[in-house]
Amino acid sequence: MSFLDIAALSLHDIKNRLAAMASRAESRGDSDTLRDALAAAADLTRLLALYKADAGILHTEIDACCPLDLLGELQRENQPLTRLQIVVDGARAPQLWFYDPYLVRMLVLDAVQNALRFARQRITLSAVENGDCLEFRVSDDGAGFPEEILRGQTHTSRVGPEGAGVGLYLAQRVAALHQNHGVAGSVALSNEPGAVFCLRLPR
Amino acid sequence: MAITTTLSNKHFLVLDDQPEMRSSLRAQIGSLGCTNVVVCANVKGAIEQFEKRRFDVVLCDYYLGGGTDGQQFLEYLRSRELISRGTIFIMITAEKSYESVVTAAECLPDDYLLKPFTADTLHSRVERQLEKKARLAKINTLQDKRKWAEVVTACDEIIASRDRYQVDAMRIRGNALIAAGRFDEAIAFYQQVLAARALPWAKFGLAHALHAKGELAASKATLGELIVESPRFLSAYDLLGRAHLESGQADEAMKVLDQATQVAPNSLTRHRAIAKVAEEQADFSRVEAALSQVVKKTRNTPLRNTGDIARLGNAFTELGTPDKAIALIEEAKTNFKGDQQDPHLAAIEALAHSKAGRPELAAKALARVAENANVPMSPEVTVQLAKAYLANGQIDAGEAILKRVVQTSPDSKEVHALVTKAMSAHGSPERAQALIAGSIGEVVALNNEAVRRGKAGELGAAAQMLTEAAERLPENVQIVANAAFALLLDVFSNGLDQQKFAKALAFQQQLQALDERHPKLADIAALTTTIRNKFNILEQPAEST
Repeated sequence: MSFLDIAALSLHDIKNRLAAMASRAESRGDSDTLRDALAAAADLTRLLALYKADAGILHTEIDACCPLDLLGELQRENQPLTRLQIVVDGARAPQLWFYDPYLVRMLVLDAVQNALRFARQRITLSAVENGDCLEFRVSDDGAGFPEEILRGQTHTSRVGPEGAGVGLYLAQRVAALHQNHGVAGSVALSNEPGAVFCLRLPR
Repeated sequence: MAITTTLSNKHFLVLDDQPEMRSSLRAQIGSLGCTNVVVCANVKGAIEQFEKRRFDVVLCDYYLGGGTDGQQFLEYLRSRELISRGTIFIMITAEKSYESVVTAAECLPDDYLLKPFTADTLHSRVERQLEKKARLAKINTLQDKRKWAEVVTACDEIIASRDRYQVDAMRIRGNALIAAGRFDEAIAFYQQVLAARALPWAKFGLAHALHAKGELAASKATLGELIVESPRFLSAYDLLGRAHLESGQADEAMKVLDQATQVAPNSLTRHRAIAKVAEEQADFSRVEAALSQVVKKTRNTPLRNTGDIARLGNAFTELGTPDKAIALIEEAKTNFKGDQQDPHLAAIEALAHSKAGRPELAAKALARVAENANVPMSPEVTVQLAKAYLANGQIDAGEAILKRVVQTSPDSKEVHALVTKAMSAHGSPERAQALIAGSIGEVVALNNEAVRRGKAGELGAAAQMLTEAAERLPENVQIVANAAFALLLDVFSNGLDQQKFAKALAFQQQLQALDERHPKLADIAALTTTIRNKFNILEQPAEST
């Protein structure tokens, strides 16, 4: 058995336990525990994806997807877990785009979960067609990313302060796997002045 | 924003081996306002439910315990047509990228849900799938009825509307073009899709269409690329394996199938495919290795297949351990009543006894087959049975079976090879050649004689000859096609004979079942219409469902 097999099996067990925990929390209306269980499971998913990206065995399964479905689903899933307001802005969203729905969900969810920790009142999710790319944007009204993260985002270093770089590193790897006609996906972080996570995916 | 009431009248089936997950799913579905929920702990229970009624939504965990998984379950449901295209099948997994594989669209779940998820997420997904099924309802019904030309037209409407289901419609359109035998159109269509976006399903579709058209080299090249780009696209390995076999490269085929098994070690389909290739190569240790796993994984589950046991038994005998074969078959016969009457198992049992030097027991097993002679059998099984007769010294019975096999598919090189192989082991290759040539000669002579009489104006005699032949060789497509056409010509020229007309329509249906793309079907349909018009016969109501 390879490490990947063992990891996947353990992951299956852990996620089952988290699922059971989430289910109990959901039925008694304990949204704090539910949020933690979902976040922990999402961490595990990213961990395995990161391992696979490093081992060169992370592949995309590109499909036609509706970007607003993803944002609507993330809003609906996360809104009951927080007192912050989560808003979807779909005014400039394309009807369909081509990407791996599971990998992209993993990245945008990570950005949402980050925003949930740092926003003051409001998180905005949007999908915007911009030239040859679709931009998924997650923005919040918090203090913004620390300078060292904004500076470090070109280095794609794996370990940043408090592990914040891990999610970014994975996002960059996954974005780059999305390619069409010579254009590759990318990730950009900025402060406007709250934190803005932007995932660009080629047409 | 969401219409919550749409779910309340839907019927759900939940399949999960973990009690806690089952009750959690039941609670989540309940919170969506649904009360029609059937919960199953294992595949057996779920299949019983499917035999009783249809469901709108199936939520199935990927891991089902006991060696089975959700993918195998879905493939089983599709292969037995226990689930229609209108049913939503959602696979629940802990880790999608590790567990899921990409197969032909037929055997893909509609969606994957990653654990853990909230009731709200479940709600979004089910609603989205319901909307999609509603939009594609017409297409799905036409697909279930295999009306491919109409499927293509219905897809065109959705593609032209440019709504969010246009890509789903494209995917179905390509498949329908292939199923309708319109390979050139399919190739052009997939190339057009691929020019915009390198979608894996379009690449596979292109390879599939090229393969169907007989362009093996181009198909193989496309599949090779696809496997590099999408290593989890299992159907690509299957088709590439087949293409290698068809171009006589069994070693390459085996390599590809081995690769597929590494991607999906639990796939029964893949192990069975390996066993089939190994069998053709007479590599019986590999047959044993592959099928032992399948038999072990499916023992005491509904996914169990008697053919696997027979083929494993045959491998044991070929490897010089016939008593292992006998033990395996005895176990099967003890545990499953149906297996006591199975001709394939009986043939393998007889071969094993012959090999072990017990001709009387072999004869006893073969006597069981004679009692159940009406069971339809594939050419492989029939040849196996003939082999068992030959090995038991019942030469006439064995050769009569082989003659019928050859006459059923006189043009099939595969069948000729099977017969030659069987007679080389028990008899002689020369005798095999003589039997094949003689059997084919009879069929050809019969056809020629019928044509001669038809041209001489003896339409009734020609139709009768062919009818008799078609009744003796009900799976020979050429004979069945000619019989249908001759009967129709006879009716057209000599006046309406209800019995003959009914017989012609029966042959037409038989032909359709044997080969829905047979070139003669169009002529037969046209002549049928002419006759209906000439004699004012109303069309029978179309088949139900």
